[in-house]
Amino acid sequence: MKKSLFVLLGIMMTLWLAACSGDDSSEDATSDVDDDATEDTADDAATSDGDVTLRIAWWGEQTRNDYTLEVIELFEENNPGITLEPEYASWDDYWQKLAPQAAANELPDIIAMDLSYLSQYANNNQLADLTPFFDNQIDLTHISEDIVNGGAVEEGVYGFNIGVNAVGLHYNQELLKEVGIDEIPADWTWDDYIEMSNNAVDNDVYFDTGFQPDVFFNFYLRQHGQRLYAEDGSGLGYDDDQLFVDFFTIVRDQVEKEASPTPDYLAQLAGPEEDPTVKGEGIGVFQWSNQFVGLEQISDYEFEIAPMPGPNAEDGLFLKPSMFFSISENSEQKEAAAQFIDFFVNDLEANKLILGERGVPVNSEINEALLDEVSDSQAKVFEYIAWAEENSTEMGAPDPAGAGEIISALDNLSEQVSYGEISPEDAAEHFRNQAEGILGN
Amino acid sequence: MKAKHVKKLVYHIIVAGFAVLLLYPVIWLVMSSFKESELIFATADSLIPNPFVLSNYAQGWEGFGNYGFGTFIFNTAVFVVLVLIGHLISCSLIAFGFARLKFRGRAFWFAIMIMTLMLPYEVVMIPQYIIFAQLDWLNSLKPLVVPAYFGHPFFIFLLVQFIRTIPRELDEAAIIDGCNTFGIYYRIILPLITPALATTAIFTFYWTWDNLLGPVLYLNSPSKYTVSMALNMFLSNETVSNWGAMFAMSVVSLIPVFIIFFIFQRYVVEGISTSGLKG
Amino acid sequence: MQTHMKQNLWGYIFIGPFIIGFLAFTIIPIIASFYFSFTSYDLFSSPEWVGFDNFRKMFTDDPRYLHSLKITFIYVFAGVPLRLIFALVVAMILNTASRAVGLYRTLYYLPSLIGGSVAVAIMWRNIFGDEGIVNIALMTMGIDPVRWFGNPTAALWMLIFLSVWQFGSSMLIFLAGLKSIPQSYYEAASVDGAGFFQKFFTITIPMLSPVILFNAIMQTIAAFMTFVPAFIISKGTGGPLDGTLLYSLYLFMQGFEFFHMGYASAMAWVMLIIIAILTSLIFFSSRFWVHYESEGGR
Repeated sequence: MKKSLFVLLGIMMTLWLAACSGDDSSEDATSDVDDDATEDTADDAATSDGDVTLRIAWWGEQTRNDYTLEVIELFEENNPGITLEPEYASWDDYWQKLAPQAAANELPDIIAMDLSYLSQYANNNQLADLTPFFDNQIDLTHISEDIVNGGAVEEGVYGFNIGVNAVGLHYNQELLKEVGIDEIPADWTWDDYIEMSNNAVDNDVYFDTGFQPDVFFNFYLRQHGQRLYAEDGSGLGYDDDQLFVDFFTIVRDQVEKEASPTPDYLAQLAGPEEDPTVKGEGIGVFQWSNQFVGLEQISDYEFEIAPMPGPNAEDGLFLKPSMFFSISENSEQKEAAAQFIDFFVNDLEANKLILGERGVPVNSEINEALLDEVSDSQAKVFEYIAWAEENSTEMGAPDPAGAGEIISALDNLSEQVSYGEISPEDAAEHFRNQAEGILGN
Repeated sequence: MKAKHVKKLVYHIIVAGFAVLLLYPVIWLVMSSFKESELIFATADSLIPNPFVLSNYAQGWEGFGNYGFGTFIFNTAVFVVLVLIGHLISCSLIAFGFARLKFRGRAFWFAIMIMTLMLPYEVVMIPQYIIFAQLDWLNSLKPLVVPAYFGHPFFIFLLVQFIRTIPRELDEAAIIDGCNTFGIYYRIILPLITPALATTAIFTFYWTWDNLLGPVLYLNSPSKYTVSMALNMFLSNETVSNWGAMFAMSVVSLIPVFIIFFIFQRYVVEGISTSGLKG
Repeated sequence: MQTHMKQNLWGYIFIGPFIIGFLAFTIIPIIASFYFSFTSYDLFSSPEWVGFDNFRKMFTDDPRYLHSLKITFIYVFAGVPLRLIFALVVAMILNTASRAVGLYRTLYYLPSLIGGSVAVAIMWRNIFGDEGIVNIALMTMGIDPVRWFGNPTAALWMLIFLSVWQFGSSMLIFLAGLKSIPQSYYEAASVDGAGFFQKFFTITIPMLSPVILFNAIMQTIAAFMTFVPAFIISKGTGGPLDGTLLYSLYLFMQGFEFFHMGYASAMAWVMLIIIAILTSLIFFSSRFWVHYESEGGR
């Protein structure tokens, strides 16, 4: 009796286990229901009455997720028949997700894209060329050509620029005066920078918190008529290693005389909240303009934005696309996706929700209209970008595929220079070897 | 008599004192969750929140968009329970097979099983993702739950090791009593490995609760997100991170794990005494 | 003959689920990754066969790889023994049945429960920060404070401390093992007049040896694969100066940040061979020190 019961149980288990590998098990009913429903609508969409469902993915935190959902709602109200399914995650998780989706041809229709990944995805036919949609679905009337070309990779435009950034010095005016400097003139130079740093050192405060190597070395190169990557992405964009040596000698000297914090001090910081500039122990930070609002938010001090040191700052400076929306090549609803991008960039009501959180709006009309809506900090950023637009040059080709590895190598070498482990001369040579190795093959 | 009391007191002082030392980081986390978000770093060296606020909890609990944090906890709980059931059933069956039954190919399959533990997930992830995509299992719990019903090498090995400590005479006695192989598994072995099963339950619960990569890969709709994914979304790589809310929700999400551990740890240590095995 | 068949059948019925799962979900990805390790594969376009190039590059042309291998060995061989000894000691202290001890067990396990969340990284930064509790303790002992996150050697040791601090899982397995030892063995030994150490070495260690074997193997494997702590502590960079660039972290960077999945797969297979050799050594040695009650004490 008992024996047969066990056998029965065993058989049931085997059957049940086998059942699990079939395609429909009831155990995750909660997730199944809407899952299948959406697939059905998506399939119908292509054929029947024009009802369309799009997947849209971006990275972000609470604030961005909340307002983006509102924008989506607004879009759906204005465009009956189009439904957007949001998929959002934190920055790290987002890219972790995107790679296998690309490998399995399962990318969402609309993808938030970053400049550092654009070439990688575009070169491998994951993204759709957007040029066919220009002046059809996407209205370019109030958007400058330079800005649109920020998303150009080789022949096409694979990411639509939805906001711009520019680098600058975000500084604490009060503290600057305390160390005996009245103001940072718009035409200041690297020599002035070194001089001002000495003032800061004499008063026992830091002048800045160092330079993110790939960003500011590239700026320095551009000032000298070169750039970090060759336009065609086949190698480095500068021939003279002396430029590398000069720039990283400045970096090293700043650390040595304590105008910038030592790298081990910086490594100890738990977050931006502990940054010396935030705490009033340093005068400024060299960073992207979209970080300005956050800086003012976490610090008790007020900040201003100064341009980068010259000479030829204009050649160095460019407007960087802060974020793109791309359309995946495997999307079956590219027109509808383009319609959403147009709405995101050109609709005033939508931008009243976005408020420049993804970078200063690219549409010049919206830009003006928003000036009264945004916070004081945000207004300073808008103002700086408006100035930068007049005083900058074209960005040029985006980072080539393989840039991630080069940036990592550069960070590594710059770290070693700051730690005093190797000389800028040796670092220059190592960097050239490594970079050519990476881009060469 | 007195000496015994003193000894007991010393034991408690040492054990409790050491616990405080080990727990300092946890206490710091809990205390920080009651501080105003901007003050967490400014007052990091002080444990006492001043002022004491609950706003982090309110803010964190709101979640994102249309989904409160409760949704994420519910999703995670469903996920965990389904995996837990799978592990307890499949791992004990498989472990019994490896530990007690003599069959051709046993060593081979055992070696294969251990080997699967040695290959980093990062390199099998993409092909596995493609398999699940082909099965049309994306954006559901299936890729995360179904494999649990086919055993997990870590727990299989754990249970094997425990079963091997049980004397074989017990099996033989059961056979004489008329049990078949399944009977030995069910009547003799299962009760005796209660501590190891409780350990399996605790680990499964906590590992699944904490699993980030799996949900990140396979869940797309925010309505299905788990706690681990939601926690990361309080952080920003560009603007200001909401540390307060992240800490608060970290504390909230620790509570279920804590309770489960407290309940199951009793079975880890009491299993054998209740099963009535005496020498 | 018939009983033989029957035994085989029962065996495969019981381990059947594993085999099915393995064939359905695991074997293809494993073969695929083995194939990738001989290719140049960027995740998006199809893999290109390059023979042994990835392996050659690893050992001749990638100093970062060799460095990462070195610090991973330090991490494993310092971290695993420390963690196991610590876990065993605590398990033995907590192996009594009073009610308070249940609470202690839970408290001691708590550090392991907060696991991989970013909160740990922040906590850890605070505790090992310039004005953190660790440096305060060092200073009161007259030792100079250490820049834990700024010094590559210190950062690696901090990772090791972090792993020892999360000793809970090993402790729990030891506890379960200790509880499986019949109390009568100890009673008999007490009657014979055995002291604590005698009981420890003649009863506890032999009876616990299968569990010790399990923990040693699993912790070694897990230590080689450690990724999350290194990733969150170094903010994904493996810094300072590659001091926390553990093998898995470097593998992840190669695969998903540099898009060299072929190279990453090759790294994975080299790691598999290393771990397999170490585990077989431990398995082989287990003949001499592991005692299985079910096999008549051999």
